[in-house]
Amino acid sequence: MIKISNLEKFYRTEEVETIALNKLSMEVATGEFVAIMGPSGCGKSTLLNILGMLDDPDAGSYVFNEIEVAHFNERKRADLRKHNIGFVFQSFNLIDELTVFENVELPLIYTGVAASERVKRVEEVLDKMQIMHRRNHYPQQLSGGQQQRVAIARAVVNKPKLILADEPTGNLDSSNGNDVMELLTDLNEQGTTIIMVTHSEHDARYSHRIIRLLDGQTVMENIMV
Amino acid sequence: MIRNYFKIAYRSLWRHKGYSMINIIGLAIGLTACFLIYINIKFELSYDTFNEKIDQIYRVAVDVKRPNIPVITTSSAFEQIGPSLQQDYPQVKESARISGARFLVQNGAVKFQEENAVYTDPSLFSVFTFPVIKGDIKKGFEAPFTVVITQSMEKKYFGDSDPIGKTLTLDSKYPVTVTAVIKDIPTNSHFKFDIAVSYATSLKLFPSGPANWARIRGYTYIVLPKGYDFKSLETQLPAFANRHYTEADRKEGTNYDYHLIPLKDVYMDTVRGGPEWGDLHNIRIFSAIALFILLIACINFINLTTARATERAKEVGIRKVIGAARKQLIGQFLSESVIICLIAFLLAILLSNSLLPLYNQVSGKVTNTTIFTHAYVFHLFILSCFIGFIAGLYPAFVLSGYKPATTLKGKFSKSGKGALLRRSLVVVQFSISIVLIVGTIVVYTQLNYMRSQPLGFQKDQMLTIDFFSDTAVQRRLPVIKQELKKIPNVISAAASRSLPGFGNGNSETEMENKAGNMQQMLIDAYYVDSDFIPQFEMKLAAGRIFSKAFGTDTSRAFLINEAAAKSLGFTAPADAVGRKIKQWGQNGKIIGVLKDFHFQSLQEPVNPLSISNDPDFNKVLTLKIGSKNIPATIAAIQKRWKSLVTERPFNYRFVDEAFNAQYAAQVNFGNLVMYFAVLAILISCMGLFGLASYSTIQRTREIGIRKVFGASVTEIVNMLSAEFLKLVMLSSLIAFPLAWFAMNKWLQNFAYRIEITWWIFALAGTAALVIAFATVSFQAIKAALANPVESLRSE
Ligand SMILES: Nc1ncnc2c1ncn2[C@@H]1O[C@H](COP(=O)(O)OP(=O)(O)OP(=O)(O)O)[C@@H](O)[C@H]1O
Ligand SMILES: [Mg+2]
Repeated sequence: MIKISNLEKFYRTEEVETIALNKLSMEVATGEFVAIMGPSGCGKSTLLNILGMLDDPDAGSYVFNEIEVAHFNERKRADLRKHNIGFVFQSFNLIDELTVFENVELPLIYTGVAASERVKRVEEVLDKMQIMHRRNHYPQQLSGGQQQRVAIARAVVNKPKLILADEPTGNLDSSNGNDVMELLTDLNEQGTTIIMVTHSEHDARYSHRIIRLLDGQTVMENIMV
Repeated sequence: MIRNYFKIAYRSLWRHKGYSMINIIGLAIGLTACFLIYINIKFELSYDTFNEKIDQIYRVAVDVKRPNIPVITTSSAFEQIGPSLQQDYPQVKESARISGARFLVQNGAVKFQEENAVYTDPSLFSVFTFPVIKGDIKKGFEAPFTVVITQSMEKKYFGDSDPIGKTLTLDSKYPVTVTAVIKDIPTNSHFKFDIAVSYATSLKLFPSGPANWARIRGYTYIVLPKGYDFKSLETQLPAFANRHYTEADRKEGTNYDYHLIPLKDVYMDTVRGGPEWGDLHNIRIFSAIALFILLIACINFINLTTARATERAKEVGIRKVIGAARKQLIGQFLSESVIICLIAFLLAILLSNSLLPLYNQVSGKVTNTTIFTHAYVFHLFILSCFIGFIAGLYPAFVLSGYKPATTLKGKFSKSGKGALLRRSLVVVQFSISIVLIVGTIVVYTQLNYMRSQPLGFQKDQMLTIDFFSDTAVQRRLPVIKQELKKIPNVISAAASRSLPGFGNGNSETEMENKAGNMQQMLIDAYYVDSDFIPQFEMKLAAGRIFSKAFGTDTSRAFLINEAAAKSLGFTAPADAVGRKIKQWGQNGKIIGVLKDFHFQSLQEPVNPLSISNDPDFNKVLTLKIGSKNIPATIAAIQKRWKSLVTERPFNYRFVDEAFNAQYAAQVNFGNLVMYFAVLAILISCMGLFGLASYSTIQRTREIGIRKVFGASVTEIVNMLSAEFLKLVMLSSLIAFPLAWFAMNKWLQNFAYRIEITWWIFALAGTAALVIAFATVSFQAIKAALANPVESLRSE
């Protein structure tokens, strides 16, 4: 599903140039559950953003579903993204002014799904995430674990082929964290490819494979059994 | 304490330069607009106040009531009224007459046509406060052929030499002696003159009937004792009138109603009019505009300050925790707003001072030459402090009221009451702006309409030379016309007393109506020669025009217009031909009916008009010239004129320009409204820009999230703009009925007027929307294009 080779990303500030990704190459197959680990500042989020087509690489190639997307323009990337990729963030990133239902509905609106169909699909995932009873609440009124479940609901409502999760358990206690990992595992078992950044060896164990990054380069890959 | 407040306020303003700039510039523009309108209105309201006896001076005005014709209201009175009132009523201490005149004034080689001359009594200078600089009014101004001149005239005719006792020549034939020099008449006097000729001169030149009860002429002012109730004199005036009716008055059944008008009301008396008058209605309109613009600027201030509340909430929390009392916080926030207003005040002073000439030009009247007279600047200073205080009060109370516990936790809600208030205020701003935009469009459409209507006569390439009815010129007119027509580019020449757009006299006239009775009416009167109608291409509806072939045409033949025929009851103009007519004691016949042409501006309906062919009345000579090489033609005409008419300067105008000059007041009104509409929308948009950028910053994270989940740039821009555009649309809904009501009322002033159609509203609404969208979308596009990774990273 994903094949990147010699991917490079630089950040230029006034004085310093940071190399966030340094000729990075890797592959992820459809249906895989991959964990990315590494010390703070090694480029994990940068990699995830590029994989999620939120950002473009400075050099190298990125093939997504057999399509070279490294030089796609903003509009094309956005188009590909909204139909194929769901995101889960450490800080949930729910919109405070929208209810649980409306937050989850958002991706469907942007892909042009009809209103009646939207209600059906949102209710379906809220049910699955067991937060149906909270559908009219605002994010501030929910606990962290509930908020992350809403965020996951939002990530999967569009039935994406790929879910990118940046430290999904980072702001949660261990019991809520485990719930989230169970949800991701379920999704993976139903066929969704998942790439997850994590600092927790415990969470990484839910995955099939761990990619370890150091200074923007792969150091090693462990295959889990 | 105060010093500390100001220090912190200064730093806070500096740190948020963008918002401070918007606030200050918006307020400065608002204050400037307000200030310019204020000093202009102050000037208008100051008319005649320089007179020490302002509370004692009254103008005597007479209404003439004759059987069968509508009451004629005037601002004038009989020549004899002042002296008679003084004789009959001891409480009338003084009286003075003044009536307009114009002369060709000459001192040796210095020779000018003076339009601002008057005949007046010596008492004028004790009734009104016109200080004498040289000479003595009491010595000699009683006598005929004496004059009093202003300082400017002294300079113009005598240079540095002493004019007292010297001689000027009026109209090349009357030597007059200068008895005194007065200061120039203040610009805020409702009548102005440069040269005053003694009333005795007028009585010599135009002797009138016995005791002067036959002629209503000029203005009469009387002085009553201090504190005297003029109404009690007014109630005695019917008896007074009764005592002074002439034989003829009694025979005709004529009645005169006398009114006393306090001097302080004279200038604003638009019903009776006078030499110069102001318009209270316009003053009200512009006061409202000034207040509204100021309101818009204050709203910006309140909106931007409360929008920043979230940002300041934390600061408030910290200050409270370390022991600030609410009172001190209010003081803190108020100092900030007062500082903003004071900086705006300084800017406004600079702006007003440099924009004053432009304002005078646009308004068409030089009212003030500097803003640094009177206490004007001080008034603006007080106003600025007041605004700073009032506009700062609400934000200060809101901000200082935050509870430290909630604000410090950062869980401070952004929406709620504040947002609703801000939206309502934006709606107020845009409603005002849209009303002004609609107003501007209506005024200009109406002007355009009036200027593009067919007038019923040819007004182009008509050069008219005013010889002020000089009898010497009148007598030689046939020769002069003949000579001028020899100039290659001069096509034809016609003499007349009046021209369309120049104003004309009227005359009480009796005409035979449909029933065969002699109908009396006050009718506008034209006096022309036989070349006039062909040259101006006025169309004949029935009968014939004047012709040299008919010897009696100069005394017995009259033309009337269709409006006159209609008022006599004739539906077919041809039926009016051959009817009897009597004017100025002259019996004649109606020989033809002209199609209606606009001899006045389109503000007026086409009134009944009579036209006669009397060479003694001719005042101007109009040449139709070819459209090629106009400057050379004018030069040639001037040269020929100078050799033909040595006694009259070559004063010329073009008829089309003069006709359009009638709309000057409306053009000025339109320009002013347009400028203020632009200012209103500008200040409103500055506020909108501030609000939009603030709300966009607050929504950065939300925008990022939406983009991650599939929103396109257009969708984001639409989302961000829609919020504000909805407000503008709501404003349109509020503004349209208000604007329709106001402008419909304004249009009632015009006999020929446009309909206010939907497209005017559509245009105004679209303009406001486009401007608002441009303002808001700048921020929205910037936010929508930003990389969502950036906005989410900062969390
Ligand atoms: N917008 C940016 N401008 C400049 N430098 C950046 C920017 N984004 C990331 N970096 C730098 O790039 C490097 C990689 O950043 P990245 O956020 O990918 O790290 P990370 O592995 O996700 O770290 P963490 O585990 O702390 O989240 C860091 O050195 C970071 O400082
Ligand atoms: Mg990271």
